[in-house]
Amino acid sequence: MRCYMSELKLPVCSSCGRPIPPYERGVRFPCPNCGEVIIWRCARCRKMVNPYKCPKCGFEGP
Amino acid sequence: MSESKEKSESSELLVPLETYLAAGVRIGTHIKTKVMEKFIYGVRPDGLYVINVKLLDKRIRVAAKLIARYEPNTVVAVSARQYGYQPVRAFCSFTGAIPITGRFIPGTFTNPSLPSYMEPSLLIASDPRADEQAIDEAAEVGIPVIALCDTDNFCEYVDLIIPVNNKGRRSLALVYWLLARQVLRERGELGPDEDLPVPVEHFETKIVGGMAELASRQRR
Repeated sequence: MRCYMSELKLPVCSSCGRPIPPYERGVRFPCPNCGEVIIWRCARCRKMVNPYKCPKCGFEGP
Repeated sequence: MSESKEKSESSELLVPLETYLAAGVRIGTHIKTKVMEKFIYGVRPDGLYVINVKLLDKRIRVAAKLIARYEPNTVVAVSARQYGYQPVRAFCSFTGAIPITGRFIPGTFTNPSLPSYMEPSLLIASDPRADEQAIDEAAEVGIPVIALCDTDNFCEYVDLIIPVNNKGRRSLALVYWLLARQVLRERGELGPDEDLPVPVEHFETKIVGGMAELASRQRR
């Protein structure tokens, strides 16, 4: 049987680095400062108010 | 600090420091949460935490950039707090966003069978505690949230914090006025040094009748 999981590319949470599965209520938005990078945050990091950092401009949120 | 340094720092702000101080944007509460710790400048002798005005100024600029990246009619501003009604309505009239003032009907973002159902792309909340229902629904459907947070807010599901006194009438008016002006500047509808055609007072909730008497009594 062929495994398709290796082909599936999941978005990665900008706060914890964990892949966000499709069923999880994550959020995506452009970096508030530079707007060039898409920030992904998983539901758990949003609830725990974990900080995220833009890899391009270094903006730290929330 | 030298006088010239003070002047240069003040000129970097969106409005003069005196305007910020007069509106009371930096007055926090007696409670401090861990999330809001980095935005706190110090403690007054009466125990009130004071918000860092420079960070507030920076956050208003950043929030305006983020708001300007979305279509105006997909941005929703909510306020369950009475002092936030007029600022939110005025902000939306200038920026084209959708205002929701007063009670937030549960299901507005999640229940398609409701007549008030909508699918926004960005939510602006005036107070994470008062606008809890809106923020919870935004979290459920995956909408980014910008919120005006005071020193005592926990900021769950908030993606961009604007640290400010979210209880004051004049404070809310000034922040929404600045936000509206900055959004229009980012969109290019206003010049870099242009102001809104209305003063900050237009964004303030007017005190009438019994409320005016109560406010004057409190001042005494």
